[in-house]
Amino acid sequence: MKKRKNKNIIISFILIGLSIYFIFPFYWLIISTTKNVSQLFHKSLLPGKPNHFIENIQSIFSYENGIFFKWLGNSFLYAIVGAFLAIFIACLVGYAFRRYDFYGKRIVFILILGFSMVPVYATTLPLFMFFKDLALINTRLAILLPSFVNVFSVYLMVSYWNQIPDEVFSAAEIDGASDWLIFYKIGLPNIIPGFITLFLLHFVTIWNNFFLPLVLLNTRTKMPLILGITTITDSQGHPVYNLTLTASLFTILPLLILFISLQKYFKPQFYSSK
Amino acid sequence: MNRRKIKTSIKAYIFLAPFLILFIAMVVYPIFLGAKLSLYGMRGARTWYVGLDNYIRIFQDPKFWSSFKIPLFLLLIQVPLMLFIATIFAILFERMSKRGGAIYRFIYYLPYTIPGIVSGIVWSYIFSDSMSPFRPLLDLLGYSGLKIMTRQNLPLLLLFIILWAFTGYTAFIIYSSLLSIPRELTEAAQLDGASFWQTAFKIKIPLLKDVILTLFIFNAIGSIQVFNEPWMLQNLVVLPNNYTPAMYIYNSAFSSGRFTYAAAMGIILAIITFLISLYFLKTASRQMLN
Repeated sequence: MKKRKNKNIIISFILIGLSIYFIFPFYWLIISTTKNVSQLFHKSLLPGKPNHFIENIQSIFSYENGIFFKWLGNSFLYAIVGAFLAIFIACLVGYAFRRYDFYGKRIVFILILGFSMVPVYATTLPLFMFFKDLALINTRLAILLPSFVNVFSVYLMVSYWNQIPDEVFSAAEIDGASDWLIFYKIGLPNIIPGFITLFLLHFVTIWNNFFLPLVLLNTRTKMPLILGITTITDSQGHPVYNLTLTASLFTILPLLILFISLQKYFKPQFYSSK
Repeated sequence: MNRRKIKTSIKAYIFLAPFLILFIAMVVYPIFLGAKLSLYGMRGARTWYVGLDNYIRIFQDPKFWSSFKIPLFLLLIQVPLMLFIATIFAILFERMSKRGGAIYRFIYYLPYTIPGIVSGIVWSYIFSDSMSPFRPLLDLLGYSGLKIMTRQNLPLLLLFIILWAFTGYTAFIIYSSLLSIPRELTEAAQLDGASFWQTAFKIKIPLLKDVILTLFIFNAIGSIQVFNEPWMLQNLVVLPNNYTPAMYIYNSAFSSGRFTYAAAMGIILAIITFLISLYFLKTASRQMLN
């Protein structure tokens, strides 16, 4: 019995030690936002004394005439509009697969699945050429349009819809309800939890998407936060560590709030359950 | 062809239309355009057909091959290590009390919510000579000459950062599928006198084979496409333009102006990704079409 207890203590030690590893960067980021550059160079693990938190926030808010708020607004625009439309469109696909036996069903499904893994590093360069012809380079639409397609979410949506039992639909059919009414009144309410989960996951994906805006945007006012914060420099072009860190904190804050408040919907989805 | 099916097909395609249009324009067409571009040479606005020249040159380009060093290192060291640790975590999570388990799962999952760019910024500062909180500790131990952030150490630092970001998430996925294992299976084994870890390794882990294999595939794809973390680390340590395949693609297109060469590398990356995901795609399509 004693041996077992010792083993448990060792395991607890390891788990707590690893908790420190997982939390440490958060702690370091937060204390660093209370420091100016020379305090950062002191390398201490305590908050800055005197505390520069308010000052850092003021300088990031007033940096380049408040460009920070433009980045923040862009991030919300791209992530909310992109995620909502992408998942709604995926819903329509799920409904079509669940309700209709149509020509080309297998082929469309295989196409969706086959293209679900295409790396952005293969599609973004051609998109750049395509958008150049359409004069879309350096517009907000260039970021939004690709965000409307989330192939993997479509695949997952199809599997969610397939889980809705037949009885749910049959009553409405007897009443002679139209297809749109059945989709809207019967289908959607049944799919809401999955909708929220996929919306959140896609929201985070867009919020964090760095490569697409890096390639397609060059005007700073159109950038999302994730790209904007990497462009923070002083007038000579040198990095400003305390500002970059303060902006980083604000970049992850919405994600942390979403994650903590909606934890039950943040279910990793990568394999459809049968 | 019967009329009824034509009618339902029309209805179905009305629902499918928004997706299909965007899917073709934003994913399918760019892939074909990329394949087409890869057959051309380009200088400024001038393009000319070169056949498979780009591909031939890529296969003879030592910089292309050496860009796979980091992905290979991650694939062979980081991914197996992470899957091993995550499996142990998952088993421990399952044994914990309801509240304790929830707290640990929350803490371990938290790094996954942080974008690669931000974790790249924060970790690179933590490892930098000017700001590292480990610096005073190293100095105290007499290693004042030892630099943390160097080219040589970078693979290890990347391993450290990526493990930090994804281990808890991976453990959570494995834990979720552990919960779906019927209790009778493990209880029977424990009645036969099997210890906790024996049950875990002999009964539970074999049942997790599918999940772990899928996780391996997804992480292998992630390793091949790694970009954001090294991209941020290069602010503090000089990296070659081919440090990873994705970085080589970006730099070839936008720093060296070899756009079509980069497009060809993109196609190769897409093919490699497709081949790695084949097992997953097969299982997924079998599940849905039957």
